[in-house]
Formats: sequence, structure tokens, C-alpha cells
Amino acid sequence: MNTVQKTSPVHVDVRRISQRFRSGRGADLLALDRVDLQAQRGEFVSIVGPSGCGKSTLLYIVAGLLQASEGEVVVDGRPIDGPAPDRGLVLQNSSIFPWRTVEQNVAFGPEMCGMPQQERRKLVDHYLDMVGLAKFASFYPRELSGGMKQRIAIAQMLACGPSLCLMDEPFGALDSLSREVLQDQLLQLWERDRKTVLFVTHSIDEAVLLSDRIVVMSPLPGRVKEIVDVDLPRPRQNTRALPEFGRLRNRIWSAIRQESMEAIG
Amino acid sequence: MSTVTMSETGAAEEGHAPASPVLPSKGPTRRSWRTLAAIARYYPVFLIFVVWEALSRLNVLDPMFMPPLENVARTFYNEVFVTHELLDHIRMSFMRAGAGLALASVVGVSAGILMGRVRAFESFLDPVISALFPMPKLAVFPLLMVFLGIGDASKIALIFMGCFFPIVINTYTGVRNVDKFFVWNALTKGASQRQLVWHVIIPAALPFVFAGLRVATSTAFLLIVASELIAANDGLGYLIMFAERSFDPALMWCGILVIAGMGFTVDRLLLTLGARLFVWQDK
Repeated sequence: MNTVQKTSPVHVDVRRISQRFRSGRGADLLALDRVDLQAQRGEFVSIVGPSGCGKSTLLYIVAGLLQASEGEVVVDGRPIDGPAPDRGLVLQNSSIFPWRTVEQNVAFGPEMCGMPQQERRKLVDHYLDMVGLAKFASFYPRELSGGMKQRIAIAQMLACGPSLCLMDEPFGALDSLSREVLQDQLLQLWERDRKTVLFVTHSIDEAVLLSDRIVVMSPLPGRVKEIVDVDLPRPRQNTRALPEFGRLRNRIWSAIRQESMEAIG
Repeated sequence: MSTVTMSETGAAEEGHAPASPVLPSKGPTRRSWRTLAAIARYYPVFLIFVVWEALSRLNVLDPMFMPPLENVARTFYNEVFVTHELLDHIRMSFMRAGAGLALASVVGVSAGILMGRVRAFESFLDPVISALFPMPKLAVFPLLMVFLGIGDASKIALIFMGCFFPIVINTYTGVRNVDKFFVWNALTKGASQRQLVWHVIIPAALPFVFAGLRVATSTAFLLIVASELIAANDGLGYLIMFAERSFDPALMWCGILVIAGMGFTVDRLLLTLGARLFVWQDK
């Protein structure tokens, strides 16, 4: 299975990443323990696991925002060194800038990179159109709903033209209806551009619906427990109703059930 | 080009229609009504004036302490439109307070940002500020006069010292409180350290800076009058002192009310400016 992707070049290579945090009482906490992970170009990879398994930490390391204690991350054959607009990031709680209007938010990345205003305007219009928020160009984020803010965050990331999209529970704070709508919209966007995506979520359904592959992690210390290929047909319309969907869902759930129970206490 | 559109499904997903940010502008009558209403809100102040005038007329108040408001108004008119002396005093006080405040703003905001961003600055300035902040700045004024003379320099230096602390402390707090995720978002969008400060740290910290500026302004008014009461040849503090020594209570009250009015006006202006600057903030 997935022979096409196996032969295509590796886009992201996470090599034996370990991360130690010094906790309050001076004891070391091992958040990630020798994590290996690869994503092919154009692949949608989800990382699921109970809270405390270090999945967000792993994503921030790939983004270049955190320095791993050990190991390295190689993107496009080169080890990363700090954050770059080529590796876009969308965070859970709306991290778009409240003091900028919607269009100024989307224009942020191009503005930082020194793109002339005229070009920027065109680009912003294009991406606002894409996420369906052209009408709200001059609004401030406080005037928008949570789902709209996350769409702005996605447009803001896409405007930087990243080849790799890192998404940290982007729909985690939304109500379940908005969540399903945004999942479908993300699928449509992704199926058009086929960018490489690393998608952190604690929703198994979401991971199965969106991904080519799911990395299941276990907590304390964070380790890769299992990697599951999702061979559901694309485009994924009405995928939630397929029996295969439920089968995959149960399989992943049984893989992390024990740890999830322990994590909750 | 953009075949994928989120709009149709997206509109249904959002629960509420966002409120229109622009208020429909009604005619001038609506505006003048609002101005009248704004003034009417201060009726207790006018009430106090009326009671003052009435009590003076009834000879309840000793005219050596509280002359009739009418006399104060007459003095005010005379000082402003005939001799123009009051205007000179206002100008001098404003110049000194403004210079000290401006200096404190520039130095205070810069120092606050550096403290919030550079560990070395923070560890150096934090104990210094903690030690000096609670000290009453007026206590240093005699020393400042020894060094800088009794002219403008010592007063501006005093106001600088008084205003610097609220500004630097607020700026520092604002910079330290900038959400980590804003910083991360900017860094992954290609912002340099300099761009980060200009486009994220400063706008995010600005409401804090502004609060510090308001406190500093009232401190500036306090210190300008105090320093002019102690030693000056002009300015509103001097005018009040002069009026006291020449047994002219109407002139004294004139100076007091002018200072009160100035403080009030400047604070209102700052509030209005703040409301404009921070339309983006969640109330």
C-alpha cells in the first residue's frame, strides 16, 4: 500500500528526538523519548495521543520554536535551525493578532518578508476568498467567531506559502458542529494543494478522517506507540459513514485506551 | 482559481452575525445632543459651584478663605484677557511638565522594552527600580536644586523621576505579559527580532504602556505644582504661592481651579485617545 508515497522523497525526518523539561522541584521530566517520525512530501500525518504525551512539544520542535534536548529534525535534507516561514504553524487558541484587522493579519507574513503592498493586497484577497472571509476583511478578530478566527489563522499561514503545515489542535477549541465543517474545508484545501501536513489532535475521529497516516503516541515519557496507515479512499466525502472508518477508529482507540485511562486518573 | 470556497458552509457554521463596527453617523442634532448629555453628566460639579456662590452670598463663608465664585471668575477674566499673565503661568507649567513627561516616556518605554526582552537589563534594572520606586521623589528636589539650580532644569528632572517609574514598570509588565503564542506565530511567519518588537511586542503591550502614561500624567501635574510652590518665579504653583502671600484668595482659587481643569482635560484627552487606539480590544 501507499507505494507512490514510499518512493517519493522524505520531506520531514524527525530523528531520535528527546526532550527533557526541568520541572518545578528540579526533577527532570522526560517529555519525549527518542521519537522517530517521517513524513513524505504531500502526506497528511496526524499525531494522536492522550494529553501529556508530548505531541504538541514535538510539533513545536519541528517548527523550530523549541530546541530538542537530543536528536535532530531534517526538513528537505537539511537540519532545521530555528523557525522559518517555510514551516507554517497554526495554533489551537487563536494566535492571530487582535490589534490587526483580518486582512492585516493575513498580510502579516508577506509584510515581514518585504513583499510590496500591491502584491500583498492581491495575495490577501486570494486567501481570504479561499477561506470565505472576504466580506470580513476590515473586521477585527474580536468581532469574529472562534471558527472564523481559526480560518484566518489558516489563511495567515497559507499566505506565507509554506511547503509544510504544522497544525496544533487547530479545531480543539471549537464546538463540534464548527469542527466538522472546518474539517471538511481543510480536506478540500489540502486535496487541492497537497502540502505536507503534521496535524496534532486528541480527536481520533479527526485523525482518521483527515490523515494518510496516524502516529499514535503514549505518554510519560512520550513515545511513538504505533503508526497506522489510513487507506480510506480520497476525496473523503461521507467517509465518517464507512464501516472502515469505525474499524480504524476502534483500532487506534484500543491502542491508547490504557494510557488514556491512566492519564485521566 | 480558487475553486474551493468556504463561504457557503462557513456562514451557516457561525452562530452569530458579528456586530457592525461602524456606527451609523446621524445628523448634527444627534451629535450636539450627545455633547450636551456629556456635559450634563458633570452636574454635581456645577452644583458645588452653585452652593459655593450661594453660601458666599449668605456670608456663611469667610471671604478670606472662600471668596464668591464671581470674584474668582472676574479675576480669571482679568488675568486671561487683560493682563494675559495667567496664560504665561499656564504655558510655563505646561512646558516643564510636558518636557519631563516626554523625556520620561521615551526613556521609560525604551527601558521597559529592554527589560522585558533582554535578561541582562532585567537583572540590572529590576532591583534598582524596586528600591527607588517607593521613595517619594519630592524628597530629592532640594538635592536636584543644588545640582541643577532653581530654574527649569531641576523641575524637569523631578518630573522625569516621578513619571519614569510608572511608565517603565507598566511597559515592562506589558512586554512580559505578551502571549507566547503571538510571539511564536510571528516567528513562524518570518519575523526578525526587530520586526517582532515593532509589530508584536509593542502593539500587544501598548494598553499597559498607556495605563502607565495616565498615571505618569497625574504625577507630572502633582510634581509641577509642588516644585513651583517651593521655588519658582513663574508657573501655576508660583501663582498660588504669590496669591497666598499677597492675600488675594480669588487669585489663589483661580490658580487652583485652572490646575484642576487642566488635569481633567488632559486625562479626558488621554482617555479619548486610548479609546481610539484600542478599538481592537475586547471590552
